[in-house]
Amino acid sequence: MLRRFRLEEPDSVTQVSELLGRFGDNAKIYAGGTELLLAMKEGLVRYERLINVKGVKGLSDVVVDNGTVRIGALCTHRQVETSSMLQQKLPALVKLEQNVANVRVRQAGTIGGNLCFAEPHADPGTLLMALGAKMVAEKSSAKREIAAEEFFVDAFETSLEADEVLTEIRIPTPGANSRSAYLKFGYLERPSVGVALALTVNAGTISDTKIAVGCAGPAPRRVAEAEALFDGKGTQEAMRNLPAAGVIAGRAAEAISDLHGSQEYKEHIVGVLLKRAFQSLVS
Amino acid sequence: MQFQKEVEISAPREKVWQFIWDVDRFISCVPGCKDAKTIEEGKRYTATMVEKVGPFKVEFPTMIEVIEREELSRIKAQASGADNKIGSRMKVDLDVSLRTQDDKTILGFVAGVDILGKLAALGHGIIKRKADQVLDEFAQAVKQKLEGDS
Repeated sequence: MLRRFRLEEPDSVTQVSELLGRFGDNAKIYAGGTELLLAMKEGLVRYERLINVKGVKGLSDVVVDNGTVRIGALCTHRQVETSSMLQQKLPALVKLEQNVANVRVRQAGTIGGNLCFAEPHADPGTLLMALGAKMVAEKSSAKREIAAEEFFVDAFETSLEADEVLTEIRIPTPGANSRSAYLKFGYLERPSVGVALALTVNAGTISDTKIAVGCAGPAPRRVAEAEALFDGKGTQEAMRNLPAAGVIAGRAAEAISDLHGSQEYKEHIVGVLLKRAFQSLVS
Repeated sequence: MQFQKEVEISAPREKVWQFIWDVDRFISCVPGCKDAKTIEEGKRYTATMVEKVGPFKVEFPTMIEVIEREELSRIKAQASGADNKIGSRMKVDLDVSLRTQDDKTILGFVAGVDILGKLAALGHGIIKRKADQVLDEFAQAVKQKLEGDS
């Protein structure tokens, strides 16, 4: 049962930040509520106050601005999956969002809430990392960008400060020869393993590779060591490096043995998904 | 969940043994452990364990019972506690061993940890990882305290 709480309804980011600063651990931002309210109903977390941010204007737009796609933190998964502009600029993100949970969750849940809750089995963070995304964090007195790699600290933990609010996700618009994919695998409600790959192919040579792995461990991780096996290589040579890259990426996932699979199994699946993602982008 | 850890300490076995029974100093090495009290010297103690994973916090008022004690070499203890707010229980079977290697002491821990109730919804992997971190920090803190004294 959901316990009683006080609902704050600020209408600006500054007010949200001030409320967070004033009430500390006793308050939590409430957006879609798809994860927070479940945890509260289960009695796993208790908050005296929820800060409803749905009334804050300007946080639910998707725009392209100077080579950057800007997604407001309050955009729902449904908004992202049905955006024709995102379908054109970031089709891998649209495809990912089409497969997040179920349509009821996607209709209510926000991309910002998903990232801030930092549930280890969530999908978006992994792809955003491979897409070179930056999270915009604001508080009363300051605004900063946090690279996706720096944003996810641990399971359920981000690098946001206590009074900071995630307001926007900024993704560089991929170039004409850039491609990206996100593949996941799981047999329970949430994925066991997620792998994201982004790269550019120019005249048969690969560059700007970004690999990220998620769901298997506590938080999404970028795998720079495996990226080096693709960058500057021809597609055939990169193909030959796939098994080695898969092993490195599997290790980097910091996979945890649990009901979703053993550590070894998840590491293996990382390699399989990386290979499939690569083949889907370079064929 | 089973945990195993060994820590090499540059201090004689007698000193490590004494340290273990100095409840306040020993408990100060356990991350998140507070309010340690001796109920019956050498046998029963209480303490409160406070741990946090992201927004999830647990507070286990814990009873620790020493079940077996072999002077300078082994302690077997059991700890149990419940967090009624979250509706979760914890039970730990702890086996602590000491042995001498060259001029050092090897302090070993084998712990069987059971978490029951709603907390388990966080997932076995996440809880195990947290418990691993706590044990690592604890082992390092014990090492630092004892070696810092010498």
